[in-house]
Amino acid sequence: MSRSQLDTLIHMANQIAANNAHYGDDAAERVYTHLKKFWARSMKRQIVDYLQQDGSELSPLARQAIERLAQSQSETHSASA
Amino acid sequence: MLNYYDPKQTPAPQHFLPERDYGTPARLSETLVSLEIDGVAITVPEGTSVLRAAALADINIPKLCASDNLEAFGSCRLCAVQIEGRRGLPASCTTPVAAGMKVTTQNARLAKLRRNVMELYISDHPLDCLTCPANGDCELQDMAGAVGLREVRYGFDGENHLDAETDDSNPYFSFDPSKCIVCSRCVRACEEVQGTFALTIEGRGFESKVAAGQSEAFMDSECVSCGACVQACPTSTLMEKSVIEQGQPEHSVVTTCAYCGVGCSFKAEMQGDRVVRMVPYKGGDANHGHSCVKGRFAFGYATHPDRLKTPMIRESIDQPWREVGWEEAIAFAAQRLKAIQAKYGRESIGGITSSRCTNEETYLVQKLVRAAFRNNNTDTCARVCHSPTGYGLKTTLGESAGTQTFDSVMQADVIVVIGANPTDAHPVFASQMRRRLRQGAELIVVDPRRIDLLKTPHHRGAQHLALRPGTNVAMINALAHVVMSEGLEDREFIAKRCDAAGYQAWREFILDPRHAPENVEAITGVPAEQVRRAARTYAQAPNGAIYYGLGVTEHSQGSSMVMGIANLAMATGNIGREGVGVNPLRGQNNVQGSCDMGSFPHELPGYQHVGDPAVRERFEAAWGVPIDDEPGLRIPNMFDAAVAGEFKALYVQGEDIAQSDPNTQHVEQALRSLECLIVQDIFLNETAKFAHVLLPGSSFLEKDGTFTNAERRINRVRKVMPPLAGKQDWEVTVDLANALGYPMHYDHPSQIMDEIAGLTPSFTGVSYARLDELGSIQWPCNEAYPKGMPTMHVEDFPIGLGQFAITDYVASDELSNRRFPLLLTTGRILSQYNVGAQTRRTHNQAWHDEDVLELHPADAELRGVRDGDWVGITSRAGQTVLRARISDRMPPGVVYTTFHHPGSGANVITTDSSDWATNCPEYKVTAVQVEKVSQPSAWQRQFQTFDRLQLELLRGGNKDEAGQALSGAGE
Repeated sequence: MSRSQLDTLIHMANQIAANNAHYGDDAAERVYTHLKKFWARSMKRQIVDYLQQDGSELSPLARQAIERLAQSQSETHSASA
Repeated sequence: MLNYYDPKQTPAPQHFLPERDYGTPARLSETLVSLEIDGVAITVPEGTSVLRAAALADINIPKLCASDNLEAFGSCRLCAVQIEGRRGLPASCTTPVAAGMKVTTQNARLAKLRRNVMELYISDHPLDCLTCPANGDCELQDMAGAVGLREVRYGFDGENHLDAETDDSNPYFSFDPSKCIVCSRCVRACEEVQGTFALTIEGRGFESKVAAGQSEAFMDSECVSCGACVQACPTSTLMEKSVIEQGQPEHSVVTTCAYCGVGCSFKAEMQGDRVVRMVPYKGGDANHGHSCVKGRFAFGYATHPDRLKTPMIRESIDQPWREVGWEEAIAFAAQRLKAIQAKYGRESIGGITSSRCTNEETYLVQKLVRAAFRNNNTDTCARVCHSPTGYGLKTTLGESAGTQTFDSVMQADVIVVIGANPTDAHPVFASQMRRRLRQGAELIVVDPRRIDLLKTPHHRGAQHLALRPGTNVAMINALAHVVMSEGLEDREFIAKRCDAAGYQAWREFILDPRHAPENVEAITGVPAEQVRRAARTYAQAPNGAIYYGLGVTEHSQGSSMVMGIANLAMATGNIGREGVGVNPLRGQNNVQGSCDMGSFPHELPGYQHVGDPAVRERFEAAWGVPIDDEPGLRIPNMFDAAVAGEFKALYVQGEDIAQSDPNTQHVEQALRSLECLIVQDIFLNETAKFAHVLLPGSSFLEKDGTFTNAERRINRVRKVMPPLAGKQDWEVTVDLANALGYPMHYDHPSQIMDEIAGLTPSFTGVSYARLDELGSIQWPCNEAYPKGMPTMHVEDFPIGLGQFAITDYVASDELSNRRFPLLLTTGRILSQYNVGAQTRRTHNQAWHDEDVLELHPADAELRGVRDGDWVGITSRAGQTVLRARISDRMPPGVVYTTFHHPGSGANVITTDSSDWATNCPEYKVTAVQVEKVSQPSAWQRQFQTFDRLQLELLRGGNKDEAGQALSGAGE
């Protein structure tokens, strides 16, 4: 039994959030930084797409971090465009 | 003008010659003592024996029972000397030097005594020197010559031991007591060097004889076959069977073992290009002349008939392999990779570097991925073992590596071992640890299992925190809570060396009463008082050292646990000097090196992030191509992407992901989804059965390069025989890069190291010339540290101040599982190595020819399971069947197995649960149910069919039959 690729990414994002929850105000920034530093381009794209289309299975902290990720990606995109 | 060496004008040689035996161990003392031996003035450290002092002046006193890796014993009396003003003829091995002492080592009286001693020895020794396996390497023969023995006046008809029976039970060495002179070197080696105490002298006087265990055969005794006794034996009593069969070696080459992360140095003793035996090298700084059963004896796989010798290709995995030349195989692979990238995009392919290959080879594979594939889809097996170490230590201490040398343990007062089983997985270091424990260091073990280190002979009072699997972080927080709440922290260290804001936040976090041992007891299952005692023991020790293994990293909170360990070490000031530190025990020989060499998808060599433009610029200038600024896929992400149809080709060098990675059925599904799988290996491993291109690899005996061990020590690997298939692994990667249109040109691995040194700040001072000069180098090695850095973080951390990390305990998904009431944890045993591809092809099979499931008597009784029954182990990922072994080493509720045999399917059960930060799989916690069964699992039956089919295809078997079997296997 295996999770689908997207389910795995959602699970991973929530897990990263749960392990950084204690950092309070800094938590979302830390989760965002983690995703930015360690996730591959395709993984980032999928989780951002999921956030924009549904996002219901993401924990609130994971959601905040991925919103930040979406924002930074669109900034980079418009900067390079 | 000729210059003669005149010891009178030269101080005692400071340079230690590893090939020489100085008779007794070195003594370290700042007080120096001057004496005269045979008229030669010599100055040595206080406590040195007269025998060693003489040897240092190149005065060689005859000896038999003495050896410089063993404490003096004084039994053979051959090393007797005369000392002015003293009575009798004392043994020089047991006589320490004294100021002004005047020693005579040769005169008529001594000569007569020595000749008489030898005469007695030889009166009970077979005179078959010409046909004896030790001929050419026999200290008894040498001594008979040295003392001028010409006759044995007693004759040979008296009572003797010449008919004593040989014990051939060990597959690697024989024990022929008829040749034994009862010098006790073997017994002492077993005690002092190895620390197993399996040998003893039984009986008294003439009846004295060497016995294994309770007078058992060697194989039935506690003997772990490390071979220290064989190496110590001055005669042919204990002798390698390979020497008995082949004769004495004629030359030797110093190289580095290809098994565990201890990285022992060996002399490969050769006849031509054939290895006769491997002898641990006394000049090796990691092992000081000791070894284990794997390194010393299990090298026969290198010439096993299963070795792949020809490149092979096939269109699909149901087709027979077709033998082709190197050029065709490489062209086929390159053409496929290019076609796949053209069709599915640049990111649809990737590569896996090997922690069993050299630094140079690993560097080239990641370079191939980044420069020729033009993406960052590179990863390595460290993903599944020590990736949390990289993350956790870099975050807290600023460098992704252990802080100490192995020798540092000899200064430790308290040794904490967390989630590691050194006697099995790092045996040579375990021997050193045990030596320190016998000297009186305290031991704290944090592990669900009662590991063998807890049973160290002549050590008492070890503390064992037998926690529930998956609760490490709760435990480390509780230990830190005790330190902080009881005021045991090192305030000076914290104030001077650590970031203040981070520390305050952590302090507040850790002082919360929920971390108190009394409140954590319900989670870990360990009584609070035990936790408090252990915390006090560690914090109050002058030197406390933490050693940890995969029982720390292979968890859903592996990275948190590594950071928790670093927190504890910083809080107690146990960083930055000898005897302390945070020490990951690495699994494979070159895990440290493969991580250093940029195998991870987010980091270029030297842990430099791909997102850093300045870093990329340097690599781009050197490599002449732009480098992707986004991290690539990790191994588990590659599998997921393959199953999803986005990832289509993979180049795997020297790894067996189909056997070693978790959730086998998912891995198999991923491998079957690939349109091109290129496997470079010395055998048709499990992964290769799914491959389209098979490139024969070379063993460590067939190549030049370097390995980096767990203490950051870079050691040379030297070629002793030509590669069986004609190419060293690095040459194959070079060919593939060139075929892909990215030019690579190297004539020798030393040029690859030069390139590494130019791009990696911690390696700037490393070169082959420097390695030859120094023997080995512990990185960082650069302008500031031209000889490397044995102990890290002495003055400051690479990030300036140490960073405390907040490590909240988050329970693993695997813990809250009602359908599966037991917890499975997996591990290793001494005689087998990792996936077993090497050791299963040696006589090490005699110790462990199948993986078994260990379970507690209470759990067995509940399920009606008896020792030896077949049991099915089921998790949410799958099922497999193993034989049960009832063992109280496990706490109730926990079961254990190893993964050395592919058909066992241990990883069919392990799940996709992984570390939050690095995706390192949670091998150490899988919720399972166990029940009695009568037949192999469905996966195992399918495995057997598929295995048979692939072996058939390797021999060029019938395609139709193959196709049928394959579709059957897919059911």
